[in-house]
Amino acid sequence: MMSKNSLKDKGKPENPMSDWMESAGMFWEGMFQTWRKAMDGVTVPNAPNTDKTSQTKTSLDAAIKAFSSFSSVVAEPDSMESLFKGAGAMPQILAKIAQAGLSGLFQFQQKWLERAGQLGKSTEAYKFEDLDENAFRAWSEIYETEFSRFFNIPQLGLMRFYQEKMNQAVDKFNIFQTAMSEFQRLINLPINRSISVLQEKLGEIAKDGALPEDPKTYYQMWVKILEGHYMTLFQSPEYVHTLGQTMDAMSEFSHAKNEVIQDMLSMFPIPTEKEIDELYKEIYLLKKRINVLEK
Amino acid sequence: MNQPKIPVDLILSKLAEDAEKVHTRTHKAADILLEPLDTSIATTPYDVVYEEDRVKLKHYIPTTKPRLKTPLLVVYALINRETMLDLQPGRSVVQTFLNEGIDLYMIDWGYPTRKDKFLTIDDHVNGYMDNVVNYICKKHGTAKINLMGICMGGTFSVIYSALHSQKIKNLITTVTPTNFDTDKGLLHIWMKGIDADKITDTYGNIPADVMNLGFLLLNPARLMIDKYIGFFENMDDKAFIENFIRMEKWIFDSPDVPGETFRQFIKDCYQKNLLIQSKMEVGGNRVNLKKITMPILNYYGKYDHLVPPAACERLTKEVGSKDTEDICLDTGHIGIYVSSKCQKEFAPRIAQWLNQRDTLTRKPRKKKTTTRKKAIGKSLGKPRSSSRATK
Repeated sequence: MMSKNSLKDKGKPENPMSDWMESAGMFWEGMFQTWRKAMDGVTVPNAPNTDKTSQTKTSLDAAIKAFSSFSSVVAEPDSMESLFKGAGAMPQILAKIAQAGLSGLFQFQQKWLERAGQLGKSTEAYKFEDLDENAFRAWSEIYETEFSRFFNIPQLGLMRFYQEKMNQAVDKFNIFQTAMSEFQRLINLPINRSISVLQEKLGEIAKDGALPEDPKTYYQMWVKILEGHYMTLFQSPEYVHTLGQTMDAMSEFSHAKNEVIQDMLSMFPIPTEKEIDELYKEIYLLKKRINVLEK
Repeated sequence: MNQPKIPVDLILSKLAEDAEKVHTRTHKAADILLEPLDTSIATTPYDVVYEEDRVKLKHYIPTTKPRLKTPLLVVYALINRETMLDLQPGRSVVQTFLNEGIDLYMIDWGYPTRKDKFLTIDDHVNGYMDNVVNYICKKHGTAKINLMGICMGGTFSVIYSALHSQKIKNLITTVTPTNFDTDKGLLHIWMKGIDADKITDTYGNIPADVMNLGFLLLNPARLMIDKYIGFFENMDDKAFIENFIRMEKWIFDSPDVPGETFRQFIKDCYQKNLLIQSKMEVGGNRVNLKKITMPILNYYGKYDHLVPPAACERLTKEVGSKDTEDICLDTGHIGIYVSSKCQKEFAPRIAQWLNQRDTLTRKPRKKKTTTRKKAIGKSLGKPRSSSRATK
């Protein structure tokens, strides 16, 4: 090969990398020169802006020059030696970076696994066997003590405030959903139980051979039992507690959702609810003052 | 062991018979539902004589020559609308009052919007109500008027009468909660576990739909299931359908409740029970029930699940008045105003009571408390399927 021979001729040490760099530099330099000559011959009729063409050419010339000088400098034996030394150290450096990174990641993962391993531990007080009674409550506690933490990890950077609000909205939505599920379970409880009670009652009546002939009577019996069950449920501390919790969760989710919407609205040229409320409050206070002054 | 005797054949034949009836009923119902129905409510003519913000004062056009010297102002609750008092001809408290010769005014609280969320009980009582009373006094050239309050409007009327006793001649409270420390009513139980601050801060005004859902949950078996089964069973009866739709219109025509008023009502009344102890403060003034010295007529329903008797009957014992009367009717929260039975026992009795005190203005009444409780029958007292008896 021409290039190889010429290098040998110059008495430089034989180095495949150096050879390749030099030949590559020469090849691309040749290509760019040819392309530049070709472009010189091209004239665009009625070209509106010839400055742009010359600007591109100038930029290309500068790039070729830089590449040419870079490849010739890199092809120097000293540079190549330094490059290879660096390259030899590269695996070590990479290994160090990777080790540090992986160790951090591993520790982080360990924490997550530990946290995940705790799932269920915090709900030992409840009976997991009795899923019908405690499943929603157990899930609620697991969510609040374990999963919820992930949505409260501090956010970083320019968008941290927005991201934090979004996380809060998702977190509060999950909590609301959990509370709502528990509430719905309670609301459905009397329906299930009233049907069981009705069946028992009908069994007893059937034994006496006094089953009603009119299907409507069965409905009336059921509604009466259902009403009784609801009245008992609604007065129970469990229902009052769950109702309060559901209302709280709904309010908190609404609040968090509104915060996100406020942020979105602030990007548009329209007043936000917060701004309108401030205005309403000022009007309210002004009217009160006027009323006092008028009296 | 004997096999249970189940009359399957009879049950099936009854089902077949019912299926036929349903078919005929549905056919007839389709005709009724497609033809024009008279479901209009609040049709008694009135003039709006005073307006302030969202609040309007209705003055009903007299149907007879006024027999009472003093006009009557009716104050409804902020929940639902005052149209309940004039649901339909023949079952209208408004019409009965007019026929009894009462010069009748009624406050229409309107529909609060977001700008009204800062309005407190003080703004409603010492603001709107006081302005309305002043307007009526000025118009009639009188220093006092008669005041009748309904439910929460009754609570407002009690507060007003304590703070402005010089302007009230006679006070009538109907299904009015004043003693909130009771576990007889579901609302009293539920409200103790509610975080009023959180709800108010979140919503501003309390959404009517949320409250309506709460009211339906007071008795889901009757109000969400049985009521509509009743509608289905009677949907070939035009009069029934018209009344049913009127009630539905009224029930779900619910304004939001101004947030700050809700907050104070829940915290001071339901959670701390300050009113009956004369410890509540409104507009910086203590509401001292002993300052209520005018005659009081106190109506409530024995089967009221929203405002149970225990929430109402203590009032007459705590006020300064010596002329008090408690009347407990065998009905629920709304039945007092709309049931055909109560049409005879309620509004005409109020007119009579007012008439006695209107003509005896200058004579000091004998100081005694007459507590008259009507005999209570064995009625089940459950909410009727076609009415919102628990709300």
